[in-house]
Amino acid sequence: MRDLRTPWISVRGLFGHAWLLSLCLVAFAAPAGAAPHVAFAARAGVEAAAAAAHSWSPDAFLVYVENDEDVAAGGVAPRWGYLYYSPWLEKCRIYSVRDGRIAVAEDLTMKFDAPPLAGDWMDSGAALDAAEREVGREFREKHGGALGTMLLMRGAFNEGDPDETTWTLIYTAPHAPSLFVVVDASDGKVRRTWRG
Amino acid sequence: MERHSRFTFVDSAAVARGAFAVVLSVLALHAGPARADDAGDAAPVPGDAPVLVRIERVRPPSEKLTTLRFLKENRDFIRGRFDLLRQRPIAGHGETTAVDPRFLAYQSMLADVLGARDSVASAEERRSRLTLLASVTQLGDLESELDGMERLLAAQRERLSVLQADFTGRQQTALAVVITGDPGASPLSEISVTVEGGARITVTLGEAERAILKRGGAVQVFRGFVEPRAQTLEIGIGGAAWPAGDTGYVALEPPRDRLTMLRLDLSTLDAARGAPSIRASTWLYDARIPSSDG
Repeated sequence: MRDLRTPWISVRGLFGHAWLLSLCLVAFAAPAGAAPHVAFAARAGVEAAAAAAHSWSPDAFLVYVENDEDVAAGGVAPRWGYLYYSPWLEKCRIYSVRDGRIAVAEDLTMKFDAPPLAGDWMDSGAALDAAEREVGREFREKHGGALGTMLLMRGAFNEGDPDETTWTLIYTAPHAPSLFVVVDASDGKVRRTWRG
Repeated sequence: MERHSRFTFVDSAAVARGAFAVVLSVLALHAGPARADDAGDAAPVPGDAPVLVRIERVRPPSEKLTTLRFLKENRDFIRGRFDLLRQRPIAGHGETTAVDPRFLAYQSMLADVLGARDSVASAEERRSRLTLLASVTQLGDLESELDGMERLLAAQRERLSVLQADFTGRQQTALAVVITGDPGASPLSEISVTVEGGARITVTLGEAERAILKRGGAVQVFRGFVEPRAQTLEIGIGGAAWPAGDTGYVALEPPRDRLTMLRLDLSTLDAARGAPSIRASTWLYDARIPSSDG
């Protein structure tokens, strides 16, 4: 006769099903937790950073951009950093943007009254294409290198015309000096390259 | 012979409950933040209806991320280059920058307004001279003048809508913190709010403020621009029960270009539990301007 206290499913079976279900949940949940952040080109983060910067100081303007995480093909990165300067406050503030939101906001603890970037700077994808075409791809293939840093600023690396807003791309390799490539952010021409 | 399970000493219903609890535990574990580095996602985003937010005893952990690494590692070099840039005259032609077309349009709009005012004034003068409408022709003239005034009014309404769009459309992210609720016998003498990166704003609760709260009114503690990002506000209270003060923390994420309201209800304040016993709620203030046409 069937025992009413012991239902159609056995106790051992019940434990087995529970653990099986738990394992399935773990298996399904793990990939969701490791979902990567969406990579984007540098310009796409400016709007979020500018909104925050103008809340901080209405006169703030963008002076510097740098990738905060690795740059992939197409000049996209999951996180970009934007530096704003306020002449009124005489201070700089950094905004790191990820997934369209401010992931980090902090003051730059140094005096850095940089000139503003030109408004029509080309996006990181086009700058990376130009650098790759000219010298970047060859360097990577020859030395097993990789692009480490992309930064956009005015004045620092282009001595011929320091007023230009330029992208500077820094390629590194384990056994070779780094390659610096300066790309004009208005017309995409490579202005300078050097090793160091 | 009846065969007994090795587990017959365990009540099967209890086992079922236990198994269910295991499943629920796993679900609960995975219902939390998916990644440790998404701690900032916990900050509630306010909506149009008030939502309760918790005042924590301990500051919520924030994600530690490095940013602008190259700049920080080479700051002296880069600053040196900028200094050099400012000292060296460079050959180049000065370029004018485009004037915002809106500013030019304002001058034109102002001229139109003045012109319209002259038109109305001259029409009024003519109308006042008409003591008798001598003919149907004059009635027609009057009608056409009225039509002209309607056109002027329509043009004026259009100019006002342009100005409204230009100036009210530039809303920035802001936060207002208000306190409500009668703290009753709680020995609360002051309350403070510190926005991340901002100064500590303290409001002393004197007789006047207590009377306002008792009557159901609200006292504004802070109102200002804030960055549209996940952040933690520090709420401090002071009074006889807290000689060294007491502190709680609220995580918020004010949406961009909106005014976020945070209300601290002091009626729930408990002397033993301190700041975390304050009931806090947040919502978005609707700052849209209603249409003039209703």
